[in-house]
Amino acid sequence: MIALNSRIFQGDLQDQDHSDHQSPLGVTRTETVTLSGIRTQSGFTFEQVEVNYQTLGTLSPARDNAILVCHALSGDAHVAGLHPETGRPGWWDFHVGPGKAVDTDNFFVVCANVLGGCSGTTGPASNHPGSGRRYGMNFPELTVRDMVHVQVKLIDHLGISQLFAVIGGSMGGMQALVWATDLPERVKLCLPIATCISHSAMQIGFNEIGRRAIITDPNWNGGDYPLDRRPRHGLAVARMVGHVTYLSEYAMTHKFGRQRSERKSDNALPVFSVESYLHHQGRSFVKRFDPNSYLYLTRAVDQFDLFENGTSETILSRVKARFLVISFASDWLYPPAQSRELVRKLKRANISVTYVNLDTPYGHDSFLIENPAFSDIVSHFLGNENRQGAFIKNDELEAAVV
Amino acid sequence: MHSGIYDTVSGWVQPNSRVLDLGAGDGAFLERLVKTRSILGEGVEKNAVLAARCVQRGLVVHQGDIADGLDQYGDGTFEFVLLLGTFQELISPAEIFREAFRVGRKLIVAYANFCHIRVRLQVLFSGRTPVTNSLPTAWHETPNLHFLSILDFQEFCRASKYREIDRAFFNANGPVRYLPNLRAEEAVSLLQSERLSHHNAPGERSKTEIK
Repeated sequence: MIALNSRIFQGDLQDQDHSDHQSPLGVTRTETVTLSGIRTQSGFTFEQVEVNYQTLGTLSPARDNAILVCHALSGDAHVAGLHPETGRPGWWDFHVGPGKAVDTDNFFVVCANVLGGCSGTTGPASNHPGSGRRYGMNFPELTVRDMVHVQVKLIDHLGISQLFAVIGGSMGGMQALVWATDLPERVKLCLPIATCISHSAMQIGFNEIGRRAIITDPNWNGGDYPLDRRPRHGLAVARMVGHVTYLSEYAMTHKFGRQRSERKSDNALPVFSVESYLHHQGRSFVKRFDPNSYLYLTRAVDQFDLFENGTSETILSRVKARFLVISFASDWLYPPAQSRELVRKLKRANISVTYVNLDTPYGHDSFLIENPAFSDIVSHFLGNENRQGAFIKNDELEAAVV
Repeated sequence: MHSGIYDTVSGWVQPNSRVLDLGAGDGAFLERLVKTRSILGEGVEKNAVLAARCVQRGLVVHQGDIADGLDQYGDGTFEFVLLLGTFQELISPAEIFREAFRVGRKLIVAYANFCHIRVRLQVLFSGRTPVTNSLPTAWHETPNLHFLSILDFQEFCRASKYREIDRAFFNANGPVRYLPNLRAEEAVSLLQSERLSHHNAPGERSKTEIK
């Protein structure tokens, strides 16, 4: 078992007390660019899309050291460093920074809030440029491929023709997979973490519970709600369910056990600490997340199917990237079997894949927390690229087999 | 394991071939093959810490047990499959051999000889389960599940229709040429399958089909 410190118990960085968190990057900022000509998979054309993104590190003169970091469902562009207003650390500050797994001394890191999100990129909570009203449920149907499409435009805008690597966990891993399969010439290394080829019934089921909680909140009103009367309760319940699925029985036992909270429940019975914690998670999430955005993003990941446009064999035969696939033994939301299914398909298509299933006991959230074993593997994989002869190149593999 | 085994295997593996190392450990030997024989190598390693060392060396590794590792690959992916030192620890050696010959054309197996003279004498005179250089752990700690001699191994290969193309034997003093079943502590064997119909499930891409 990996040595763990107390910080690991605090979970991910977005919704916790972070007053003691130090970031070697100091304060980092995001920027916004307006892109046009974005057409979704469903055929809707955006006149313009605003994309909020962050860059860290320096782009090399050859423009060959860019790493795109793709965030998960509740993430945003603020990947690392401290937020200029709130002081909140970026969601992946543990793993992105000088000397960290994704080393900003060597790499130019780009992270953008996804299309349909609610942290600076155009989404259901944004104003429609024509009418001046918010999109709400008139936002077009959204897919993971649409998110990637916007990222491609951003990477074009930054003048980068090929990404050194694309990396992401969960929904971010799906984006990484789309990059490697749909844009084979533009990705050298692909690192999908705790993700899958497509959602299982269980994953869809949990998301649907969250969605029902939102749309049955009287304030939801068909998605048309004023900002001061958002369906907060529904979204909070959605987050509470989601949060439990991101943890593990082990993590919850060690963090809460059967400890009691100081507060009393509505009928004056004692409350368990885990309940207060989930309430806190719900309240904290509601402050920063748009309920309609939650509906759209969860639909997008539920609909995701890496091989929706053909057989896995044909789609994977185009892939040029080399892969590092990581899963976590305790992740029951995106279980290791799903990663192995991906690995098997990649390997059988003669793609170079390294796979590790880390014994981190903190469930799906394992990729968001401080995790030395994870950092080690990722930094070695990214850092070894230029070592001669060690890696199997996909084209050599092909030559060896055919 | 005796260093002579690694040298022997290194000599058997053809340059530029594709090699799968089952139980790759920290990847030291696989890296040596990559560097000295220009092979295209991949490893399978169960231990996450050791698998991480493989990644550090720049090797492609699959973290999982041997059966799971083999299952990832299509038919005829490799020229050589290596099984060095873990043969006697496999729950089902016959099944692993079948899988190894599905994904690879040749199999190199290194194993310990449980009928070395010192072992025989210990059994005879001490009346206890032997502990020797090549079998260093007591009965309750050993990872070994199967206790075999060189003769047993050869019989197993004959019965399963695997042809031994080459072999080498070692003890602490170096290579053993005479009476290996009595004098050798470790053995290594280069095998080829004599079966014709063992691979190529319908629809699977394989080397034989393509050639």
